[in-house]
Amino acid sequence: MREVYVIGIGITSFSRLEYPLSEIAAYPAMMAMRDCGIEKVDHLYVANMGASRVSGQTALASAVVDTLSLTPAGAEAIENGPASGASAIKQGFMAVASGLHDVVLVTGAERMREVNNLEATDFVATLTHPIAEYIYGTTLPSLAAMFTRLYMDKYGVTSRHLAMVAVKNHDNAMNNPFAHLHQPITLEGILDGPEALTNNPFVSDPLRFFDFCPVSDGAACVILASKEVADKVKRPRVRLAGVGQATDTHAVHEREEPTDLLAVRRAAEQAMKMAGIKPSDVDVAELHDAFTILEIVESEEVGFFKKGEGHLALEKGETRMGGKIPINPSGGLKAKGHPVGATGLGQAHEIVTQLRGEAKKRQVKDAKIGFTCNFGGFGNNVVCLTFMRED
Amino acid sequence: MNLEIYAYKCRKCGQLHYPYRMMCKKCHNNEHNAFDPVPLPHKGKLLTFTRLQTLAADFSVPDIQLGIVELENGIRMLGQLQIAKPKSGMAVTGSVGVVRQMGYNTYHGMIFHEAK
Repeated sequence: MREVYVIGIGITSFSRLEYPLSEIAAYPAMMAMRDCGIEKVDHLYVANMGASRVSGQTALASAVVDTLSLTPAGAEAIENGPASGASAIKQGFMAVASGLHDVVLVTGAERMREVNNLEATDFVATLTHPIAEYIYGTTLPSLAAMFTRLYMDKYGVTSRHLAMVAVKNHDNAMNNPFAHLHQPITLEGILDGPEALTNNPFVSDPLRFFDFCPVSDGAACVILASKEVADKVKRPRVRLAGVGQATDTHAVHEREEPTDLLAVRRAAEQAMKMAGIKPSDVDVAELHDAFTILEIVESEEVGFFKKGEGHLALEKGETRMGGKIPINPSGGLKAKGHPVGATGLGQAHEIVTQLRGEAKKRQVKDAKIGFTCNFGGFGNNVVCLTFMRED
Repeated sequence: MNLEIYAYKCRKCGQLHYPYRMMCKKCHNNEHNAFDPVPLPHKGKLLTFTRLQTLAADFSVPDIQLGIVELENGIRMLGQLQIAKPKSGMAVTGSVGVVRQMGYNTYHGMIFHEAK
């Protein structure tokens, strides 16, 4: 297998974007091509989840490759739920590692704010089991809420821990110009104060408004290349050193231990093993915190902390900027935003920015090894990636 | 008419599955029609629950209760709840009723109540 390098990156703001979906996908691709000085690529992978349902567009990759005037390069769309972004990166990795292509462009885009919040929530809910979950009115927030209650009962996680994740990630997003939410919040405002219930009402108890990520439009891109190509690019050298993917039962209730996220554990193990690292080697991580509980649990499942102790590490400040393992310096999905099909690429963009030392106010000092966890379904399809700075 | 929801028992190894799947998760039996339908028990224990207040637009109620129940035979299922004060671990009984109306399509599922 050949080594694979990230030679170019680009991103849009995660917010509301009033452009056609194909242009939203193309914009960060143009930025990424400028970033590395590449004008042609061999192949495009376009990550997206809702084009056909939300944006009324099919065959998105064909539109994007032509919008970028990159024909006749091959192009295909990758749909793998909220893990579409990292799945597309994995496809790009395999294309370069195998020798099939030398330069591939992986872009991901979503335009979710084209519809109202109820429709967007229902669109995402269609990834649940159609007979055993969806027909009951199940949504991802409700699955997260029931999972949270189990975790609270078993491990002593409290609403305060969840609120601490939200406060941390909103603070981090203040230093990210691409983040959807530039809104500092406090425990007083969302949990302890007299206005807390008004500011932060229950959405699906025990989860409240600020336990959820916003509904975002957005796009991000990485360009992957072989070592021969990367050698000619005058940008800090970041290698995509490990990829891992695992699945779990479609219906959440079927899992043997309902508080485990086995697909996260297995995907992380693969991504770290391929890179030849252990969890304690990671300097910075972007974890899929669509719901605050997920940051805590994923931090355990990927191996940063023991099972059931992620909330204790959070209490000690180990996951904040300057802590033992800063998690979600971008603001995470919680505050940077969650354009579902693009989220994995947004995570990769942040990690490469960190490893290049170009994250400015949100820079994690001396970051050499970065890690992402892109969580599809409610943990039924997870892709993890390990990135390494090489000097 | 008493409506039932079915689990599926592998004819080869006896493993019960809910929901339906094409191949047995235990013995990987891949023969066509490899399962016998078995009605799910209506009694069980509530493992976790939530009151969901942001619903898809086809619901005409402000909120619904959802829960995961471990049934008497060990199978778990998700269902709607009609329980005034749900608690983890409480005994529940289920009946099959209408859980969702999407346009002209009516969907039936398990609705759990507090056991008497």
